Amino acid sequence: MVITGLVLGAVLGYVLQRSRFCVTGAFRDIYLSRSTRYFTPFLLAIAIQAVGVAALTGAGVLAPEAASFAPLAVIGGGLLFGVGIIYAGGCATGTYYRAGEGLIGSWVALIFYALLASVMKHGPLAAFTDSARSQTIADATIHETLGVSVWVPTLVFTAIVGALTVGQVRRSAGKKKVAALPARRSGIGHYLADIPWSPWVGGVLLGLIAIAAWVLSTAAGRNGGLGITTPSANIATFLATGDVTLVDWSVMLVLGILIGSFAAATLSGEFRWRTPDSRTMLRSAAGGVLMGVGAALAGGCTIGNSLVETALFSYQGWVSLVAIMLGTWGAAWFLLVRPQRATGAGSRPAPVLTPAA
Amino acid sequence: MATYTLETNGAVCPFPLIDAKQAIAQLQSGDDLVIDFDCTQATEALPQWAAEDGHDVVSFDRAGDAGWTITVRKGT
Repeated sequence: MVITGLVLGAVLGYVLQRSRFCVTGAFRDIYLSRSTRYFTPFLLAIAIQAVGVAALTGAGVLAPEAASFAPLAVIGGGLLFGVGIIYAGGCATGTYYRAGEGLIGSWVALIFYALLASVMKHGPLAAFTDSARSQTIADATIHETLGVSVWVPTLVFTAIVGALTVGQVRRSAGKKKVAALPARRSGIGHYLADIPWSPWVGGVLLGLIAIAAWVLSTAAGRNGGLGITTPSANIATFLATGDVTLVDWSVMLVLGILIGSFAAATLSGEFRWRTPDSRTMLRSAAGGVLMGVGAALAGGCTIGNSLVETALFSYQGWVSLVAIMLGTWGAAWFLLVRPQRATGAGSRPAPVLTPAA
Repeated sequence: MATYTLETNGAVCPFPLIDAKQAIAQLQSGDDLVIDFDCTQATEALPQWAAEDGHDVVSFDRAGDAGWTITVRKGT
């Protein structure tokens, strides 16, 4: 039943659009504004998924296989991917849901991301990707090295995330009230397609969707959880070759993200075709190229690695999460912080202020 | 108290926020900054920034489909 992928993808797209959940922003803002507003909810999604997957594996419903660890490919690919998502203005899922909101720049990033992922996985650079990813070291997971059950890292991590969550909720409780848009709908519509959802709602739902993905994908004959890069590469390759075997559950999932995000944006008056200037468009294209190359080398993106492999406590998941994060920090410094300090040629023009009449 | 307008339509996040921070630095306390934007994530980021940095939000509303305007009064 590959169609369940389309449905779950649509739910995912809807949730991401309403909660403005952006993994790029979550990583970037730790450096840019010393804020963990979206990062802690993202860790919460990992913890929820880790508990759910460990329980379902124990019950014999799932049989997840963590990726073998190829350090150089994972670190190099993660750094490239991190730089790419700052240039593209969103990670792989972020780019899908922003494309569904009508951002032309995200469509450009998406096309180059899918094309380069296909080049790296199925095309002329497939041999290079395979050889880079075959330089593996012994253990795949943290608990394998420690010689303990998967429940040990799962429970330790969940306890840490629980403490971080409680701390963050407490700190924000006494803060000044944040301005909100006037309501346009009442009743259930107010909650579904009017008010933005908090990052906590987004994080919890993302964790639950990630568990559902494991179950539904396994039922459809694909042993895996949420994944974005492989299906994106598959779409590009399918369109060029007509090979229908590439159209699996995960392809339906990414197409569903577009549909769900489009529905959420349309219902809440947030859809409009938005064309960026040529500078932003070129940045999006370059970002898409780096994302495709980086994710193929690292074996996943901010979802496949940073959300799913981390929940299996694989080295690939955690090392690439750190590499992607460092990549976003470096690119954020280069693209966002440095231009504000420099005033010479090539720096970004200062914002134009117009006195109101 | 003066009012200034910052037009960021077409700029993707986080640029509306970066520009807003730069712009408000040029104003006096009590001045109003009207920010027009069309990046969805800024509907979250801009009011959050105003609350954290001690600026008052005088008005915050939609301006057509996927367009918004927020007026921030610079705090002391």
